Formats: sequence, C-alpha cells, structure tokens
Amino acid sequence: MNDQAISAGGRAWVKGVRDAIPLLGGYIPVAISFGLIANQSGFSSWEAIIISLVIYAGASQFLFVGMVASGAPLWLVVVMTLLINARHLVYAPNLAPWLTGNRWWFWLMHGLTDQVFALAHTRLPALPSSERLGWFTGAMLLAWFSWVGGTALGAFAGQELTGRWPLLNDVMPFALPALFVVLLAPRFTSWLWAAALGCAIVVALLFAANGLPNVAIPVAALLGAAVFFVMQSNTRAEV
Amino acid sequence: MAGELWVAVIVAAAGTLLMRLLPLVWMQRRLAREDGQGGAAAMPRWLGVLGPVMIAAMLGASLVPAAGTLNAWVATIVGGAVTLLVWWRTKSLGWPVVWGVVAFGVVRFLAVTVN
Repeated sequence: MNDQAISAGGRAWVKGVRDAIPLLGGYIPVAISFGLIANQSGFSSWEAIIISLVIYAGASQFLFVGMVASGAPLWLVVVMTLLINARHLVYAPNLAPWLTGNRWWFWLMHGLTDQVFALAHTRLPALPSSERLGWFTGAMLLAWFSWVGGTALGAFAGQELTGRWPLLNDVMPFALPALFVVLLAPRFTSWLWAAALGCAIVVALLFAANGLPNVAIPVAALLGAAVFFVMQSNTRAEV
Repeated sequence: MAGELWVAVIVAAAGTLLMRLLPLVWMQRRLAREDGQGGAAAMPRWLGVLGPVMIAAMLGASLVPAAGTLNAWVATIVGGAVTLLVWWRTKSLGWPVVWGVVAFGVVRFLAVTVN
C-alpha cells in the first residue's frame, strides 16, 4: 500500500468517526439504561459490559437480561435473542455491492447494527472504494465503543447520572430519529418510494406506540416492501 | 455469572455475528458469479427495496417518545420538522441532527419549566 492510499484510508477513518457522531446521542442514553437495568437484574457491572461488548444488539440485550432475571430457560433466552436479531440478516447483502474484497469486512460485520447499517447504506455508495473500509471501521468502532462505554457508565453510575440529568436522558435519544430522517429524506424520489417508505414509517410507529417495538421493524418493512411491489405491478399493468 | 449463563452469552453473541456475517458471504459469492453485471445491478430487486424500507421502519419505531406525553409528541413533531427543514437547506448529515435535537430539547424544557 503506498503513502497516498494510507493517507486516504486515514482520512476516511476520521470521516467515518465524524459521520457516526449523531449516533452517540441515541446510543449512550440507551446503553446507560442497559447498564443500569442489567445491574438491577442481578448482573455485575463487568458482566453487563461483556454482554454489550460481545452481543452488541440493543433490544435483544434488554430481553436477554430481563428473561434471565425472570428465570426463563436459557435455551429460550438464546432463541428469543436470536429471533429479535434476525432482521440483521438483510443488512450485509444490501451493503455487499459497495464492500471491497478485504477480509477485514467479515470481522467488521460485528458492528453492523440497525443504525450503522442505515448510515452505511447511505454513505458507502457515495465514497470511492479506497475509502470505504476506513470509513466503515471509524464509524463502526465509534458506535461500538460508545455502546460499551455507555453500558459501563450505566452499570457503575447509572442511578446518579439519570437522577442528576433526567431531561438530558430524555432529549439525547432524539438524535436517532433525527438521523433516520436525514438518511431517509433523499430517498423520497417518486410516489412509489414515498408510498412504500411512508407505509413502513406509519406501521412501525403504530406497533411501537402500542408496546410492540420488537416486531415493529420487520413487520413494517415487509408491509412497506409489499406496497412497493403491488404499486409497481399495478403501474406496469396500466401501461 | 454461572457457567451455563456464560455459554448462553457466547451462543447469543456467535449467533448474532453469524446472522450479520453469513449473508455477506452469500451475497459476495452471488456478486462474484454474476461478474459481468457487478455492483448493485446484480442484487436481487427485493433486497434493494428491503434496505430503504428497513430504515423507514427504524425511523417509525424510533419516533415514539419514551415519555409518551402530549408534550413529548409535540416535541417529536417539532424536532422532526426542524431536522427536515435544516436538511433541506444544508443537505448535510450533522447539522440537521444537531438542530433537530435542540428543537426537541427546547420544547421538552419549556414544558418542564411551565409545569
């Protein structure tokens, strides 16, 4: 690798970190909650941190510690954790056309969370191929470390933090929907896409508002995709 | 943590990693087979649609405020509108998020102060 390529990789890494900064507003408060809840469920602070380090999947971690605390059989805990994470199956294939042949990509997939996928799906196609690995490494590592760091904060000092700044804990998570708005806005390019995306937004919102956040994303995405293909086939039939 | 609980953590972690990794291996092989077309053109159509609608579903699920009060919903609408407006003007990634969070926070702060 020549000096120019190394320099481009380094710049891309910084660019990835910069692009992932909005994720912190959503990750850190939720990770603090996870650390706190894991502690209250009987896990030590270090156990909570290790769970965040190796599983690294928000909703399923809450489910994992909650089910263990309630005395559920461990095989069921594992099955439910994996079922919640099953939506991740479609993320990497969606990014594959923009990933280079480098073997590091396989290990970096550990950091392919919902939010990192959303960010990468928008940013990777716009980057030259020489910068993609560096960009993804920077973005993924910042998100991962913020999740683990937030868990540590929550596990060691969660009660004090949420007691001292309750409003901050309420406001910062809005960074996630704000980021999704920015990532999604350029995709409203036609009535077809507007209908499909609008359907997915509304259905997910209704499910989540009615206490079903875990099924909200896969169900809403499938309905949104169905709207897309039905409308597309109707348009073709009319033509 | 008991030994069997560590095994559960390791199996859940390995399973999650494999669900993120194996589909990449499958897709890269598929792309390599359809060498001539390459890139996004070789991706199945349904997969290309599923990506953006997954992001839309994440947006919908994340819009539900934790507080669940009327003020929190108003703050969400105001924050979302400001985010969209700043994106429209700047077409950037960071500033719309910053101003969206500020707008959301101002509405939430006003509600706490007034009450």
